[in-house]
Amino acid sequence: MTHGTPPVRLHVGDTAVARIAAQRACRVPGVVALRADLAQALLGIADAVLGQERTLRTDGVKAAVNGDSAEVTVTVVTRLGHNCRDVARAVQREVADEIARHTGLQVQVSVTVADILLD
Amino acid sequence: MAVNRLSGSDLHGASEWGSESLACGRDAATAWDRAEVGVTPDEHERGCPHCAAAFADARRLDSVVHRMSNADVEPPPSVMDRVMAAVRTDLRPHDLLALDSPHGPARLSRPAAAAVLRNVVDRMGGVRARSCRIEQLDGRDDADVTITVTARFGVDLASVTARVRQMVLAAGEQALGVPVRRVDIDVVDVFDSSVDGAGGGAGGGAGGGKDGRR
Repeated sequence: MTHGTPPVRLHVGDTAVARIAAQRACRVPGVVALRADLAQALLGIADAVLGQERTLRTDGVKAAVNGDSAEVTVTVVTRLGHNCRDVARAVQREVADEIARHTGLQVQVSVTVADILLD
Repeated sequence: MAVNRLSGSDLHGASEWGSESLACGRDAATAWDRAEVGVTPDEHERGCPHCAAAFADARRLDSVVHRMSNADVEPPPSVMDRVMAAVRTDLRPHDLLALDSPHGPARLSRPAAAAVLRNVVDRMGGVRARSCRIEQLDGRDDADVTITVTARFGVDLASVTARVRQMVLAAGEQALGVPVRRVDIDVVDVFDSSVDGAGGGAGGGAGGGKDGRR
């Protein structure tokens, strides 16, 4: 504190990371939707019934921040015609880059393709 | 809300216990009751900000309560889909195939992959898919596929199986990103082209059931 800039400690919460990941994952080509797990689906329904539709959702994303690294799990739905492996790789790459850009965290992204729409 | 307790020197509403007087001296409960039954405010109530506030409070609560009690509770149309999708996802969380990725763990739902392979085989002429099983050895990305099919009566079975094999190999690589190491094809039945063959025939055949048709 005596000279130069004072030290700043930044901690980014799990939810913030999850929201960034969800926003980015949705925009990856081939991703039709993110698939919420049961708890998230029920919470989402509760919000909808109570009229509190949140603008930024974390459905289908779990994030855990440890120090300056984070682990993110994304569950996506794709459509027949997109190569699942390529979609999964793209989600991993894009989400990790986006979180690093926003927060500076090193991110390990796990992707699960939960469903493939056939229409 | 402007409510004061005028202890001791309460001139107006000393009758009931716990009665609360407004700053103007009127009793808050009386004003509330008058508003609730829909009495037109008298001259004092129209001019007095405290009484007007009490009237407004009563009406606001009344409208909220009645609106909510009269509203039909109807779930949004997507609720069932969302719950069922979540249930399916949670039901078999470990029924997953590994995808090759340099960026970290990547997985693919085994039932979804099987549905894709059945779908592409169904689109071929002269053959219908019944069941499809995809097995991956631990730590490997390539998979063994066992698929049971029915063929149209009169179609050459050797050429049908060759086409199915080629289709499964190509779909595995192009649609799923899972290299297929081996394809086992079981022709369990034949169907007559004049009848819809998808549901024709008897029994589930070998390997049917586990990844049964959706």
